[in-house]
Amino acid sequence: MNQRERARLVVTCPDCAVRKAIDDVNEAVAFHRRHRAITGHDVEWERAELEGASIPGEDLRSVIAELEARVEGGVPLGLVTVAMGERGMTIGETLDAVRELRMEGKLYEPRDDHLRVT
Amino acid sequence: MTRWNDGTDATASVSPDITDETNALPAKYFTDPAVHEMEQETVFSRYWVYAGHENAIREPGDYFTRTVGDRQVIVVRDKDRGMRAFYNVCAHRGSKMVDDTPMTDPGNANGIRCPYHLWTYELDGDLRSTPRSFEEAGMNPDLEDEDVPRLDPEENGLREVHLDSIGPLLFVNLDDDPMSLAEQAGTLKEELESFPLEDYELARRYVSEVECNWKTFSGNYSECDHCQANHQDWIEGISLSESELVVDDHYWVLHYTHDEGVEAAESLIEGEARFYYFWPNFTLNMYGNADGYGTYIIDPIDEGRFQLIADYYFKDAELSDEEKEFVQLSRKLQEEDFELVERQYEGLKSDALAQAQLGPNEHTVHRLHLLAQEAYDA
Ligand code: FES
Ligand SMILES: [Fe+2]
Repeated sequence: MNQRERARLVVTCPDCAVRKAIDDVNEAVAFHRRHRAITGHDVEWERAELEGASIPGEDLRSVIAELEARVEGGVPLGLVTVAMGERGMTIGETLDAVRELRMEGKLYEPRDDHLRVT
Repeated sequence: MTRWNDGTDATASVSPDITDETNALPAKYFTDPAVHEMEQETVFSRYWVYAGHENAIREPGDYFTRTVGDRQVIVVRDKDRGMRAFYNVCAHRGSKMVDDTPMTDPGNANGIRCPYHLWTYELDGDLRSTPRSFEEAGMNPDLEDEDVPRLDPEENGLREVHLDSIGPLLFVNLDDDPMSLAEQAGTLKEELESFPLEDYELARRYVSEVECNWKTFSGNYSECDHCQANHQDWIEGISLSESELVVDDHYWVLHYTHDEGVEAAESLIEGEARFYYFWPNFTLNMYGNADGYGTYIIDPIDEGRFQLIADYYFKDAELSDEEKEFVQLSRKLQEEDFELVERQYEGLKSDALAQAQLGPNEHTVHRLHLLAQEAYDA
């Protein structure tokens, strides 16, 4: 098993057949942004083994509210993409949905790429 | 000679002639964040950098964006079907105007409109129109409407970026007064333009992010001494001993002969693979065993990461099964190389090595290192 396979966090672009192991959930978001800028493709989670049970909640906002109780200083955007990935959304789809909620005033960013519900 | 980081040895310059001395570019130029910063100016803002392929934007108003370092340009086909490039920055108050638009998914617009206050520009960059709030002084009690100065379309237009081409390959230069592309390309221009590159369509783009400095990958691309040990599938059917390396001022070529090529009638080139490296970060890959070609853009993200943008061009954007298989083999080759360069980079990052040495047949890599040193010193 090489280092890439051992990684706990792996994102992939199915169109490019590219996989990338990362250390931090928000790095997936950065990767997605770079990748989308060059290809227009949407990146998704291939593997995200995180500590703790899976997150309850139906819609995006309640998922973020759930996560908020578990982390301090705002929920990393990448973590939200993991939770929504379990619900079948690509990273791009989650980012678009997050943006929409922010524009509606239902979320805010206490710091860059970290979310809280209002 | 090799220079270890043992606290005694300083590094030397890249050897002027690799046949009698073997100094590589000192290791810190691969690992130092300050060097990455410096390269934005000394390399990527001074030389001609590949922007994309003309075939992706055939109609007036078609455009894509290309980001070089932290600067983004819009490459657009204007009303006269000419190609132009502009900074993606509004002349009003500096807003980024169009969204990131990859060449694989180009946009079309009959003018460039800034979403902030709706200043709108012609495809030749001239200011076309501004909303009424910029033409009347309704809110300003000290100014009469007729005293509001008219904005000259040209003086208030977009900032144009130098753009030139080799066949359908578009290059931009962010320098105010660059050397010509023809000068940088030398004989490469004529050589590439002898191929009907414009008859081929972009069929695939694969983008990978790799954990090493961009020059590490560039060096790996430039030699095939590692092929025997690391690309078993590829070297099958290739006569490595008949290979030839040609080095010019800003480019070098690796020639390989396949035991069997593709039919000459439909092929760009039969039986002979040619891998062109064009400083600073562009390659053109002629396969000789497939009727198509590829390009690589080797874009740094930071000192320790780059993205490889691999584009594949074939007669038809719809690939045959054979072509699909070919592209997959090429991807496999990339993965093999990524392993090699990431491993090399891990070693470099450990700081044990102050300066590597090059082999006598690595004169292509030597040229790369020399060009880097030259750019830093200029
Ligand atoms: S900044 Fe572009 S219109 Fe104001
Ligand atoms: Fe992709």
